[in-house]
Amino acid sequence: MTIRKKGWISALSLTVVTALALTGCGSNNNGGDSNNGNTANKTDNEAGSKNAGASKENVTLTYTIWDQLQQPAMEAIGKEFTAENPNIKVKVEVIPWGDYWTKMSAAAPAGTLPDVFWMHSGQFVKYASGKFLEPITDKVKNGEINLDDYAANLGSIYQLDGENYAIPKDFDTIGLAYNKELFDQANVPYPDDTWDYAKLAEVAKQLSQPDKGIYGFAAKMDTQGGYWNDILANGGSILSADGTKSGYDDPASIEALKARYQMIVDKASPSHQQMTDTDSTEMFKSGKIAMIFEGDWRTTDIDASDIIKGKWNWAPLPKGKAKRGDIINGLGNVMSAKGKHKDEAWLFLKFLGSKRAAEITAEMGAAIPAFKDTQAAWVKSRPQLNLQVFIDQAAEATPYPAGTKAYPVWFPKESEIMAQAWGGKISIEEGAKQVAEMMNKAIEENK
Amino acid sequence: MNSRSRYVWAYIMIAPTLLGTVLFWSWPAVYSIYLSFLKSEDFGMVNHWVGLANYEKLFKDKEFWKNLRNTLYYMILFVPLTLVFSTFFAVLLNAKIRGLSAYRVIFFLPQVTMPAAAAMVWVVLFAHDYGLINYVLGTDVAWISDTRFAMFALVIVGVWGAIGLNMLLILAGLQGIPKALYEAAEIDGAVRFRKFRYITLPLLTPTLFFTTIVLMIGATQVFDSIYLLIGKTNVALPEVRSLVYAYYQNSFVYYDQNYGAAIVDMLLVINLILTGLQFAFQKKWVTYD
Amino acid sequence: MENRRQAADRSYNWIIHVVLIAASIVMIIPFGWMILTSFKTVTEATQIPVKIFPSHPDFSSYAKAFEKTDFKHYYLNTAFTALMKTVFPVLFSSMAAYAFARIRFPGRTLLFFVIISVMMVPNPVFYTPQYLLMSKWGLVNSVTALWICALVSPFATFMLRQFFLGISKELEEAAILDGCNPFQTFRHIMLPLVKSALVAIVIIQLLWSWNELQWPLIINSSPDKLTLSSGLATLVSMFSTNYPILMAGALMAVIPMIVLFFIFQKKFIEGVAFSAHKG
Repeated sequence: MTIRKKGWISALSLTVVTALALTGCGSNNNGGDSNNGNTANKTDNEAGSKNAGASKENVTLTYTIWDQLQQPAMEAIGKEFTAENPNIKVKVEVIPWGDYWTKMSAAAPAGTLPDVFWMHSGQFVKYASGKFLEPITDKVKNGEINLDDYAANLGSIYQLDGENYAIPKDFDTIGLAYNKELFDQANVPYPDDTWDYAKLAEVAKQLSQPDKGIYGFAAKMDTQGGYWNDILANGGSILSADGTKSGYDDPASIEALKARYQMIVDKASPSHQQMTDTDSTEMFKSGKIAMIFEGDWRTTDIDASDIIKGKWNWAPLPKGKAKRGDIINGLGNVMSAKGKHKDEAWLFLKFLGSKRAAEITAEMGAAIPAFKDTQAAWVKSRPQLNLQVFIDQAAEATPYPAGTKAYPVWFPKESEIMAQAWGGKISIEEGAKQVAEMMNKAIEENK
Repeated sequence: MNSRSRYVWAYIMIAPTLLGTVLFWSWPAVYSIYLSFLKSEDFGMVNHWVGLANYEKLFKDKEFWKNLRNTLYYMILFVPLTLVFSTFFAVLLNAKIRGLSAYRVIFFLPQVTMPAAAAMVWVVLFAHDYGLINYVLGTDVAWISDTRFAMFALVIVGVWGAIGLNMLLILAGLQGIPKALYEAAEIDGAVRFRKFRYITLPLLTPTLFFTTIVLMIGATQVFDSIYLLIGKTNVALPEVRSLVYAYYQNSFVYYDQNYGAAIVDMLLVINLILTGLQFAFQKKWVTYD
Repeated sequence: MENRRQAADRSYNWIIHVVLIAASIVMIIPFGWMILTSFKTVTEATQIPVKIFPSHPDFSSYAKAFEKTDFKHYYLNTAFTALMKTVFPVLFSSMAAYAFARIRFPGRTLLFFVIISVMMVPNPVFYTPQYLLMSKWGLVNSVTALWICALVSPFATFMLRQFFLGISKELEEAAILDGCNPFQTFRHIMLPLVKSALVAIVIIQLLWSWNELQWPLIINSSPDKLTLSSGLATLVSMFSTNYPILMAGALMAVIPMIVLFFIFQKKFIEGVAFSAHKG
């Protein structure tokens, strides 16, 4: 009895202590609302400079990425980095693309962003202007890192108000994947760089056997891997060059969207609903689709399917009225401004931007590395596939419509509106106009 | 022991709950209302007082009215269906039949199933081309991506999950009805349905009323099943999007926590009305309980 | 007459069983389909016409779900969160409930109202401010954030107070005469008397905590900080329509609670029925 009583008394005192501690926290934090961010920054900086001397302590860095297909390569890079810096371990975390930015924007103001993470050109301005990213301008100036080492001036994407924030990681373009078997069965020659959109539509119709669940093309509702390329090819635009106006209501854009949707109407593509039930790339992997647009980053995933392995290849996107429309985007590695181990994070960031990291990325076929002259290794990672198309297309491709604070606002809404159009609830024209209106409003509100 | 030292003990004993409640629940509830009068920039680092601007936007937003309508529509379908099925099965189980506890366990199973996991399997069951439901029923319906059917799919999942518990509550109510009343009716030769209509139902009213309010409050907060059943690029999303889903989307996907707060504060008003109703009629079920 | 009645009763019983068995099948089908699908290949799962049984049970989906996501941490975090959200509210609420039920002290009605008033507020109302609070404390994306706001439970306080009110005062008065202070009276006399209510509250807290989706989804992002429920949401984002993997994950997430339910059926049913009296 007495023992139990003691237990309860200590439990009680614990609760009192907890309660006190909690209120303590509450009142402390309610105080300095406005300059909270600043003070936190300052203390972190101090901690950072103190750390510089004693950097031999054991540290585990978190490196957050959104593509689980690249996880093995990123882990391999982390391992090699640890071999050089035995006191720094790297934990690679994957947050899937669909949740990534929601989670990051919840973590940013809380000061709990990962030490090092992938940055996307569309989201960059928001995070840089919010001061959540550690500028690397000094390191660029003192020559620790040379942004000229990276192809196609990728280094310039992640610049804001004269500050540099990211080291280019890779770039990506879109290609046309095709199922050789379905082409052979119909005695149709494979797609090549002479194809235009009319040819694509024609062959798609020819290869479709809707009664067997086989379709020539997947006219999916997708931006970067879908109709954005069509829009550019047709002479339309996604965003005006100065970033102030949506291009969705441009007649050339609407025409391109309509042409894509027409393939569903013609039964040359599965319906939007079918592609919601089963991801179109999954359908391609199980041999039910003859052609899809897809990013180079899906290569390892598609090639891992037993059904299609050895029976598919890449071709360039078809040409449109205006040009070959292809979106090029470059990812960057960035570090958090509020990380606990910024010196170690910088070492890792630098390693991620090194030639060696690029070689690992290339050899494992994970992505097209940004580092100059390492792309050939990626092309050779799967010699049976014509990966060269992605490199060739990069030269004439259009950059991702980034560079504004409005993108993170309009991008998630875009797919919601377009889903209405693709699902047949509203016309394509109506959908495009609604998107344009929504985008213009978002741009207005987020200058 | 004098009363003063008893006070001290009382304060000590309520302290953790009181402080915790104020810090983690009361203050946030008030703060949520405050947030709805602000406009934040740069991840909430800069706040401006904008008065009723968020509400003005809300009331002019067609989507909000649609979401409110969806929430109420879900409630109007979900609550009566759950009540009818629960009462029906409760009446069946109220007879002296074998295997009562086995049925009880089976009906209760959905209640202990994580709603997220349940929604995921319903996606497969509802699938258009290879879904079990279309296969068994011989129908050709895109349950979750056809704007006409998505709400029904959502309601089916909801009812499936809610029958077990409500059936038990109603069964408890049934077992509280004195047997003598039925025996008297049997002498009169009343048929089953008439017995149900004139004896069971009136005496069950307090239980049913209470269950209805609880179900209504629950129905206004539907989120999990929409999040995982309908998905973000589903054409039917606008037809089923609830207030809570819109709150989540606006606050954490579109980064407008102030507008999100205004949405969720409207939900608060609805819940206060429902709770008020419950209080107004509470005496009825308390005396019965 | 009598015979006809008996015959009618028997056939009525028959009909009842047929109806109940049919309904039971409908209730169970989702579980069955979850299991069957998790053993199929993607091709089998999306085959037309529907293929009910997999031709060769394929276990690889379980391995993939385990390998690609952090199920080990999902389990640990969920269990730990459930533990914290059970132990502390039960401890704190029973003390407070007793004080509110049995001790007359200044401000009693007001303070009680302060506590129960939050029960009228739907949960989503709290999320953004709670998120901002966690953000200030640097707890966003931490295991602590999963449970800290649920350290106290107004609901449990309210329910337990009802129970204490229903207990006769005589026992308690004897204890007070013996010189026990209110806490000792509470601990040794009153608490054992509301044991069944405590068990019910433990079960409800456990179940609510286990199944909760929205809060963990908002507050945490790292794979090793997720719960089963928010982990499943990640699994869906990651594998979109790879149904065998999704079903393997879903099954792994629901099994612990279902096993507990089968072991403590009666307690579960009582506990959850009790929770319906919320509000």
